Amino acid sequence: MGWLTLLVFSPIVGIVLLLLVPSTQAKLQKRIAVICSILPLIMSIIVYQQFHSGADLSIRVPWISFGQYPFSFFVEYELGVSGFSLVLLLLTAVLMIVSMVTATMQIKKGWKQYALLTLLLEIGILGVFASQNLILFFIFFELTLVPMFLLIGKWGGMEKERAAYSYLLYNGIGSAILLIVIIVLFANVGSTNYEAIANASLSTELSMGLLISLLIAFGVKLPIVPLHTWMVRVHVQAPPALVMIHAGVLLKIGAYGLMQFGIGFFPASFQDIAPVVAILGLVNLLYGACIAFVQKELRSLFAYSSISHMGIVLLGIAAMNEAGLQGAMFQTISHGLIAALVFFLIGVVKEKTETTYITRLGGLSRTMPLTAGVLLAVGLASLGLPGMSGFVSEFMTFLGIFESMPVIAAIGTIGIILTAAYILRAVMDITFGKEVLAQQGIADLQGKEWIPVSIMLGLILLIGVFPTSLTHSIQTSVEAIVLRIGG
Amino acid sequence: MTQIAWIIPFFPLMTFLLCFIFQKREWHHLCSRVGIMTTGLALIGSITVLIGQMIFGNSEAVISWLSIGDTVFSIGYIVNPLNALMLVIVSLVSFLVHIYSKGYMAGEERLGTFYAYLGFFTFAMLALVLSPNLLQLYMFWELVGLGSFLLIGFYFHKAEARAAAKKAFLMTRVGDVGLLIGMILVFWQVGSLEFSAIFQAVSGGDMDSGMVTLVALLIFIGAVGKSGQFPLHSWLPDAMEGPTPVSALIHAATMVAAGVYLVATLFPLFEASDTAMLVVAITGAFTAIFAACIAIVQTDIKRVLAYSTVSQLGYMMLALGSAGYVAGVFHLTTHAFFKALLFLAAGSVIHAAHTQLIGEMGGLWKRMKGTGWLFLIGTLAIAGMPLFSGFFSKEEVLLAVWKEEHYVLFTLGLITAFLTAFYMFRLFFLVFMSKKIIPYKRRKKIFESPRVMILPMVVLALLAVGAGYIHTGWFGPFLGEWLASGNEYITLHPHEGAGWLMAVTTLLTFLGIWMAYLMYQKEKLDRNYLSEAFPGVYEAVLNGFFVDVLYQRTVVFATKCLGIVGTWVERYVIQGILHFIEDITILVTKLASKLQNGQVQTYGAMVGVGLVVLLLIGLMQGRFF
Amino acid sequence: MTVHAFLLLAAALFALGLFGALTKRNTVIVLICIELMLNAVNLNLVAFSKFGVNPAITGQIFSLFSITVAAAEAAVGLAILIALYRNKATVQVEDMNEMKG
Repeated sequence: MGWLTLLVFSPIVGIVLLLLVPSTQAKLQKRIAVICSILPLIMSIIVYQQFHSGADLSIRVPWISFGQYPFSFFVEYELGVSGFSLVLLLLTAVLMIVSMVTATMQIKKGWKQYALLTLLLEIGILGVFASQNLILFFIFFELTLVPMFLLIGKWGGMEKERAAYSYLLYNGIGSAILLIVIIVLFANVGSTNYEAIANASLSTELSMGLLISLLIAFGVKLPIVPLHTWMVRVHVQAPPALVMIHAGVLLKIGAYGLMQFGIGFFPASFQDIAPVVAILGLVNLLYGACIAFVQKELRSLFAYSSISHMGIVLLGIAAMNEAGLQGAMFQTISHGLIAALVFFLIGVVKEKTETTYITRLGGLSRTMPLTAGVLLAVGLASLGLPGMSGFVSEFMTFLGIFESMPVIAAIGTIGIILTAAYILRAVMDITFGKEVLAQQGIADLQGKEWIPVSIMLGLILLIGVFPTSLTHSIQTSVEAIVLRIGG
Repeated sequence: MTQIAWIIPFFPLMTFLLCFIFQKREWHHLCSRVGIMTTGLALIGSITVLIGQMIFGNSEAVISWLSIGDTVFSIGYIVNPLNALMLVIVSLVSFLVHIYSKGYMAGEERLGTFYAYLGFFTFAMLALVLSPNLLQLYMFWELVGLGSFLLIGFYFHKAEARAAAKKAFLMTRVGDVGLLIGMILVFWQVGSLEFSAIFQAVSGGDMDSGMVTLVALLIFIGAVGKSGQFPLHSWLPDAMEGPTPVSALIHAATMVAAGVYLVATLFPLFEASDTAMLVVAITGAFTAIFAACIAIVQTDIKRVLAYSTVSQLGYMMLALGSAGYVAGVFHLTTHAFFKALLFLAAGSVIHAAHTQLIGEMGGLWKRMKGTGWLFLIGTLAIAGMPLFSGFFSKEEVLLAVWKEEHYVLFTLGLITAFLTAFYMFRLFFLVFMSKKIIPYKRRKKIFESPRVMILPMVVLALLAVGAGYIHTGWFGPFLGEWLASGNEYITLHPHEGAGWLMAVTTLLTFLGIWMAYLMYQKEKLDRNYLSEAFPGVYEAVLNGFFVDVLYQRTVVFATKCLGIVGTWVERYVIQGILHFIEDITILVTKLASKLQNGQVQTYGAMVGVGLVVLLLIGLMQGRFF
Repeated sequence: MTVHAFLLLAAALFALGLFGALTKRNTVIVLICIELMLNAVNLNLVAFSKFGVNPAITGQIFSLFSITVAAAEAAVGLAILIALYRNKATVQVEDMNEMKG
C-alpha cells in the first residue's frame, strides 16, 4: 500500500470513529476528532523521514482501463511526492490539527457533521498534493470542493449561502477548465501521468493555449485579480476555523498547480508569458495592498492582504529562476502559517468581543494584552520582518525577480512599504488604539487556545530563523523545475 | 579573544526572553538587575573584543544560513577596528542606559516589558554591528527598527506616541526598501553579499561605474532613512515621544548612527563613485544646517536635542562624503557620548520638573547642581568648546571638507557650528539659568535625581571630555591609524592640524555662546525681534519647514486615494462585471429550468431532438465514434 | 416485396407512435401510442429475420418475446393509471407534473 496511501486516507479513521459515536456525546466526539487529526501528522512525519532518507515513496497501481486497441486508455492510481508537495502535506496536517482544536472551541452547532466534513476535506487536500496523475488529482480536487461548499453554507456568517454559492460557482468554473485541459492532454499524450505529460512534445500553440487555461483555472484558486471576489466573500463569511484551512492550504493548491503543472508541463511557453504573470503578480501585490489599506473590517482586510501576498508568489514564479521559485514556494508555506494564525486570532477576538470592525476593537492591548501581542507579532511576520518567515520569502522572491525583470521588481518594492502601512494601521489601531472596547471581563488567550498559537508562531519563527529547515526540502523541487526550464 | 564576539549579542537577547516571560509586577526588581547584568557582560565582551582586535587583528567566521541553488547566504561575525569600536560604544551606552532606567522608570507599570524591549534592541544593534555581510546587516537593520518602534510606542496610550512609532517605522522602511534594492543589485553584480567580496569587486573594477553609483545611492537611501537625513528626517523629532533613556540610547547614540556606520562600512563602495560621494556630502551638509535652523526655535527640550542629533548626523555624513572616513567615525564616537549625556541629563530634568517644555523651566541650576554641571559639560562638548571632545571631532570633519575643496559645504559646516553653539546654549540658559523663576510651589517639588541616574551620566561626562584625545593633532592620530590598520581599502590622509581652522571654529563657538548669553541671559538682544519681523518664516521653521504637512498632503493622501479608488473599482467594475456574468448564468439556467416542467412528454421530446441532433452530426462526420 | 416496404411501414408507425406519445393529453392514448412504437419495432424484427443478412428464426422469436413484455407493460401501465385516477380523478398528462424540479 505504501505510506502515502496510508497518509492520504488516514482521516478515514476519524470519520469511521466519529460515525460510531452517537451525536449526543459531544465531548467524546471532540476528543476523537482532535486525536484522529493527529494521525495524518504522524503519517506525514513518517513520509518526511522516508523521503529524506532517500526511500522511494511512489506508488503505481493499475486502476481504470477502457477503450480498445488503437484507442485504449489507462488511468493508474499513482501517488508520489516532491520536496514541495511534501512540505505542503506537512502543512496540511499541522493546520488541520490546529483548525480542529480551534473548531472545538468555536463551532457550536452540528459539531459532528462539521468534523466529518472537515476530515473529508482533509482527504481531498492530502490527495491533491500526493497524486502523480492528473485524473487522480482532479478527483481529489473535486473532493475538496463539496465539503467546503457545505461547510461554508452551513456554518458561515450572515451571508453564508451567497458565499457558498460564489465559492462553488468560481471553483466550479475553474475545475471545469482544468478538466478540459486534462482531457485535451489525455487525448494528446495518452496518459495523465505527470512525468509522461512533462516529457511529451506538444505543439507550441497547443501548449500555450493549455497553459493559459491552467493559469485561469489555478488563478481562480490562488486567486489572481480580478478573479478574487469569491475569496474575499469566503474569508469574511466562513467560520474562522475553516478559513484557517482555506487560506492556509486550500488557496495554496493554486500556487502548487501553477508550479507543478504550469511550469512543470510547459516550461517553454511559461517563459513566454512570464512577463504577463509578473504583471499579474504586481497587480495582485499593489491592488491587494491598496484596498487593504482602506478596509474597516478585519477579515476583509486580511483577505486582501492574502491577495497581496499571493502577488509575491506570482512574482516569484514569474522570475523563473532558482531564487524566485524558492521564494514563491517559501512564501506559499509561510503565508499559509501566517494566514492561519491571523484567522485564528480573528476567531478568538470575534468570539469574545463579537465584533471584527477595527474601529470597535480599539484598546485591545488593555483588555486582551496577550492576544494583542500575538496579533502584533503575526502582523510583523506578515510585513516581512527578519527573523520571521515572511522576510525570507520576500527576500528570495525579490532576489529572483530583480534578476529577470528589474523594472517590475522595482515597482513591486512599493508593495513592501504599502504592506507595512496597512498592517501597522490595522494592528496598531486595534491593539493600541483609542479604547472603545470598554467591556470588562473579556478573557485573554488561555488554556487550549495556546496550542494553535504556539504551534503556528513557533513554526513561523523556526523557518524564519532557520530557513534551511524548510529549504532543504523544497530545494529538490526547485532544482527539478529549474532543470526543466533549462536555466 | 575576538572569537567570543558572536556570543555578545546573545546576552541582551537573554534579557529580552527573561523579562518577557517574567514581566509580572513582582519580578520587576529582577528585570532591571538582569538587564544591567547582561548588558554589563556584553560590555565586558565588547571591551575584550576591542583589545583582542588591537592585539590580534581582524577575525571573521560565518555559518551558512540560507542556500539558493549553489549560492550560500551566511551569517556570522566580523571583527575589525570600526565595528569593534561600535561594539564598545553600543554596549557601553546601552549598559549606562540600563542603569539609568532603573531610576528613571522606577514605578513604571510595564517595567518588565520596557527592559525586554531594551534588551531586544541592544541584541539587534550588536548583531547589526557584527554583520559580515549585507544580508545580516539588513536583517538586523530591520530589527533595530522594530526595537525603536516598540520603544517609541511604549506609552501607547498617548496618541502622539502611537503615531510617532508608526511614522518612524514607515519612514525608515522607505529607506530600507532602497537598501534592499541596492543589496539585491549588488548581489547580481557580485554574486555574494559578503563585504570583502563586494570590496574586491569594486576595487577590481568588476562593476561598471554607473552601477556602482546606482547601488551606492540606493544603499544611501537606507542610511538616510535610519539616520534621519533630509528628506526622511521628520520621524526622528517625533520619536521623542518615547521614554527619555530610549531617546538617549536609540535616537542619539546607536541606531540613528547606524546609517553613518553603514556608509562607513561600505566606504570603499561609496569612494568608487564620485557622484555618490557628492550626494552624501551635500545631503549631510544640507541636513546639518537645515536641522540646526529648526533646533533654534523649538520649545520642547527633547525636540531641540532631536534636531541637534539630526544636524550632527548630517555632519557625520558630510565628513564621510568628503572622504573623511576617520573624521566621520570620530565624530560618531564623540557624538554618541555627549549626545547620550545630554539626553540623560535632559531626562533627569524632565524627571524632576515633570515637563518637557522649556518655557516651564528656568532657574533649575540651584535645585539640581549635579545635573546642571553634567548638562553643561555635554553642551560644551557639542558646541565645540576647545579641549572638549566635540571640538576635536568637529575640527576633523571641517578639515576633511576643506581638503576635498567643497568650499560651499565647508561654509555651511561653519555656519552649522555657530548655530549649534547658539541653540545649545540657548537651551542651557533657558533651562538652568534663566531668571524667570518657576512658581515656588512647583519649585519646591524639584529635587536632584537619584544617584543611580547621576552615575551613568558622570561616566558619559568623562568620556564626553576625554574621548577627543584619541585622535588629535597634538598627541597623535591614534584612532585614524588604528582604523586604517584594519581595513586595506581605507587610505589614511595625513593629519595636518590647520591652525587657522581651529581658531575660526573656536571663534565661532564663542560667538554663538556669547550671542545666546546676550539674548537669553542678559536679554540685551530682543529674542523675539526676528520672529516678529518675519512671522511666516518663524512659523515655517517652528514646524520643521512643513515637511510633515507636505508628506501628509501628498504621499499619505495619495495612498488613501488609491485605496479608495481601488475599493471603488472593486465594488463597481470588477463586482459589476461579475454580477453581469452571474446574471447571464442565472438567465440561461432559468430558461433551461423551464424545460424541466415535470412533463414526461417534454422530456421525451428533448430526448428525441437530442437523438436526432446526434444522428445528424454523426451522419455529417461520417462516423459515430 | 423488399425489406424497404416493411421498414417504411415500421418507420411510419414508429413516427406516429412517437408523435402521439409526445403530444396526446390523455394518458390512455399515450399508452396506446407506446404500444404502436413497440409494434413498429416488432415489425422491424420480423422483417429482418426474413430479409436480413443472416435470415434466422431468432428475430421472430424475439418479437414474440417483445409482444409479451409489451402486454405486461401495458397491464402495469394501466394499473398505475387506474391507481392515479382514483387519487386524482384525472387521466390528463399535464396534471401529473409532481416530478417538476
